[in-house]
Amino acid sequence: MDQQGQNGLLATFREPWRTRGAVAYGVAAVLIGFYTLMYFRDHLGVEGGALDPETWASAVGLRSRWLFYGALYSVAMVGGAIYYLRRHGNSRYNRIRIAVNVAVQVVLAFTLPLVMPYFFTGDPNQFWKYEYYFSYFWPLDWYKLHPGSLQNVPVVLAIYSIVGALVAAPLLAYFFGKRWYCSWVCGCGGLANTFGDPWRHLTSSSTSSWRFEKRAIHTVMFVAILSTFLLFLDHLVGGRYATFHHVVDGGQWWSMKSLYGYVVGAILAGVIGTGLYPLLGPRVWCRNFCPMAALLGLFQKLGRFRIAVKPGMCISCGNCTTYCEMGIDVRSYAQNDESFTRAACVGCGMCAHVCPRGVLKLENAPRLNADKKRVGLPIVDL
Amino acid sequence: MRVVIVGNGVAGIEAALAIRAREPDADVTIVSEESDHFFSRTALMWVVSGQLSHRCIEPHERDLYARLRFTRVRRRATGIDLARRELRLADAEPLPYDRLLIACGSKPRPAPWPGAELDGVGHFVTLQDLEWLEEELHGGPSRGGRPPNADAHLASTTPDSPYRRRPSGWKARGGPPKHPVVVGGGLIGIEAVEVMVAKGLRPRFFVREEHFWPIALDPREGAWIADALAAHGVQMHLGENVHALHGDGAVARLAGDRGEVPCDLCVVAIGVVPNTAWLEESGLELDPRSRGLVVDEHQRTSDPHVFAAGDCAAVRWFDGSRRPEPLWYTGKFQGRVAARALLGDPARYERHVWFNSAKLMDVEYTTAGLVNLGVEDEREWFFEERGAVRSTLRIVLSGERVVGFNALGRRWDHSVWIRWIEERRSLQHVLAHLDESRFDTELVPPLKIPKDLRKKPAEPRAPSARTVAAPIY
Ligand SMILES: Cc1cc2nc3c(=O)[nH]c(=O)nc-3n(C[C@H](O)[C@H](O)[C@H](O)COP(=O)(O)OP(=O)(O)OC[C@H]3O[C@@H](n4cnc5c(N)ncnc54)[C@H](O)[C@@H]3O)c2cc1C
Ligand code: SF4
Ligand code: SF4
Ligand code: SF4
Repeated sequence: MDQQGQNGLLATFREPWRTRGAVAYGVAAVLIGFYTLMYFRDHLGVEGGALDPETWASAVGLRSRWLFYGALYSVAMVGGAIYYLRRHGNSRYNRIRIAVNVAVQVVLAFTLPLVMPYFFTGDPNQFWKYEYYFSYFWPLDWYKLHPGSLQNVPVVLAIYSIVGALVAAPLLAYFFGKRWYCSWVCGCGGLANTFGDPWRHLTSSSTSSWRFEKRAIHTVMFVAILSTFLLFLDHLVGGRYATFHHVVDGGQWWSMKSLYGYVVGAILAGVIGTGLYPLLGPRVWCRNFCPMAALLGLFQKLGRFRIAVKPGMCISCGNCTTYCEMGIDVRSYAQNDESFTRAACVGCGMCAHVCPRGVLKLENAPRLNADKKRVGLPIVDL
Repeated sequence: MRVVIVGNGVAGIEAALAIRAREPDADVTIVSEESDHFFSRTALMWVVSGQLSHRCIEPHERDLYARLRFTRVRRRATGIDLARRELRLADAEPLPYDRLLIACGSKPRPAPWPGAELDGVGHFVTLQDLEWLEEELHGGPSRGGRPPNADAHLASTTPDSPYRRRPSGWKARGGPPKHPVVVGGGLIGIEAVEVMVAKGLRPRFFVREEHFWPIALDPREGAWIADALAAHGVQMHLGENVHALHGDGAVARLAGDRGEVPCDLCVVAIGVVPNTAWLEESGLELDPRSRGLVVDEHQRTSDPHVFAAGDCAAVRWFDGSRRPEPLWYTGKFQGRVAARALLGDPARYERHVWFNSAKLMDVEYTTAGLVNLGVEDEREWFFEERGAVRSTLRIVLSGERVVGFNALGRRWDHSVWIRWIEERRSLQHVLAHLDESRFDTELVPPLKIPKDLRKKPAEPRAPSARTVAAPIY
């Protein structure tokens, strides 16, 4: 039976582990420690020791700590998906969505990168060429459009990287909203929706958090685009300007390329983004820092996706706002009978699912006015 | 202009917002005994179960009052001096006003049987009731904590206030109740049952009527809900009246038509009445039957400087009767109309086609138009779906014209239904276009009505004792 509506959310605010109790702090500490070791093992002097992720990887017979991470990630997602389905599986949208998202992770972001190298090259030194993650695109995977990596991967994969990032992703976001990626494909979103689901209500929905989000995420997006541009410039002319090359891609920890990796990839996405799940909700990275989210958000804002609101029916209960993982104050629109599209919305569908009065519905449709004429581009807040 | 609003509920706050939107400089004071902040009374049940915190059910940020310069007075209003235009307060100086808006809501209908004053007996309407039930079921508030200044009014309140806290039986029992009972088969009753089920209890549910919620559902629909309740372990006492509650200090037994049952917690949810006892002596006209404040279409009471909106206002219905419309959206609309009317705009409260929705356990419910009212030449078309989705759809007609919809199990866009009712559509038109009113979440398979049933004419209904003429909207 397909029962719509909230179920399994009961007792959320009565359990310390889901509401910033001691256990939540403990889990956060473990996650932060784990990500710190993953990203900064070279700087922490743990190489070869029991705390070295590479040691863990070889212990289970995987060739790098990133594949080990992928395996762990898949396990966390499958476990989280079981939790998610017990909690929200009374909706078909939720069931299908989470199944697709987990399958993408397990197949495209773990199994293929693991086995592809064996098919295309027997040489372990060449493995990295074929360790390709089909479900990640620039600018989330910022190195995908790095001139060096484009040159080094096989041509088909280079074309996949370029077309995927610059054509397919924005186009799909225009037609279906950024949910096609953030709620169905992306592994980061997938982890947030499965392993991170117990904490989804912790994302702040205050106006100040929204203000911070808009500033932070568009800054990162700008930095991601500018730095990619500089990498290409360096590739073209860097040979002639040694200092420029040094600053952009010189290999020191402070050169632009490494710095982007440390700050955005390691600290914002990993240590903070996932480490703070149990305290600030599972979308800290997605909401505030992910450059892909910012870019797709702009296309979503111009495109066809929206959350339709049934007039007069909202009872301002706050279930939608509370359980929106992106901190969108859905109620503020619903109680004023306004259908809306927010750049941040990842289209997870939870607001519609938990609404006890069936007020909300996710939709893809052209924006029409009362006379069925197309409406121009909306100039409103992101 | 000095505007004083009694009530920080939906009607009061919507009025205050509308006043501020039009008059940036008006002096607006909100008097509320119950709470510092506006909260959604409709959401009490989720706070008890722990699905939401007290903060979650406040629709606005807490700086709203400072930002929009609304003065707040956390006092009980005890009367009005219409001649001097002053609102009397418990334990404080009277408040002078130029315009007064009364949006004091409803209070629970008191139990008419003996024993209602025992510990462990209470209602489920006010914030204090919510805190009482949290204590009864869980021993205290959830980790979200209590609302700010929850008890600020208690020192100055009066004995007739519905915002006092009932004593809880948690301590005496040493834990949650073993024999909880809910009396009253309406929406509030079923919500009280649900929070008990969520806690893992198996309450007894006393419903006077033979089937569940007869003002909204028909016997088939009511049976589905009763079955859903029973499937969750609720012991249904349909068609049974309550006579008394017994106990020594705390409630221990409940006497009904079919004998006594053990009872160590009793939620009495037999309806609400306008919260107007404090206005009996004021000189404002009260509707003799409902005791709501009589208002005209501008929400003005019998005194030209005093307006009323929300649950406490007895408005005129389409059938000519006068009674309150105790609903969230009507309170909102009335509050907005009252705000504009008291500022001198020619605003009117237009009663539209009735609609509502709810969730009864896991079952979605949507309605619009004239359902269960008994219309002239009433016919009905009923369809029950049992497959991947279970749902029912009942369409009510007056002669050839569709006048009402009642649906369980699926989501529908009532605004499309209302358009059809206003356009005086036929059953065939409605069934042919039904998909336009779908509002299920994505990927839910659409409702498929077999061809022969789509051609099936509506069946005449036995004329009911009372019939109303279908209004022309
Ligand atoms: C459990 C429950 C569930 C509900 N669910 C739904 C639903 O799903 N859909 C729906 O449409 N409706 C629902 N309702 C009804 C809905 O909540 C009410 O219609 C609505 O809250 C009425 O709003 P109001 O502003 O008129 O009054 P209220 O919300 O009752 O506000 C009254 C205000 O007046 C103040 N006040 C009263 N007397 C005094 C006094 N003497 N001095 C000072 N202040 C005073 C109080 O402090 C309070 O702020 C539900 C009600 C309950 C109890
Ligand atoms: S916001 Fe970024 S990381 Fe999060 S799901 Fe979307 S693309 Fe992935
Ligand atoms: S607004 Fe709704 S669909 Fe969008 S992210 Fe929030 S809960 Fe998900
Ligand atoms: S849209 Fe639904 S969930 Fe959100 S506040 Fe309104 S009734 Fe509640």
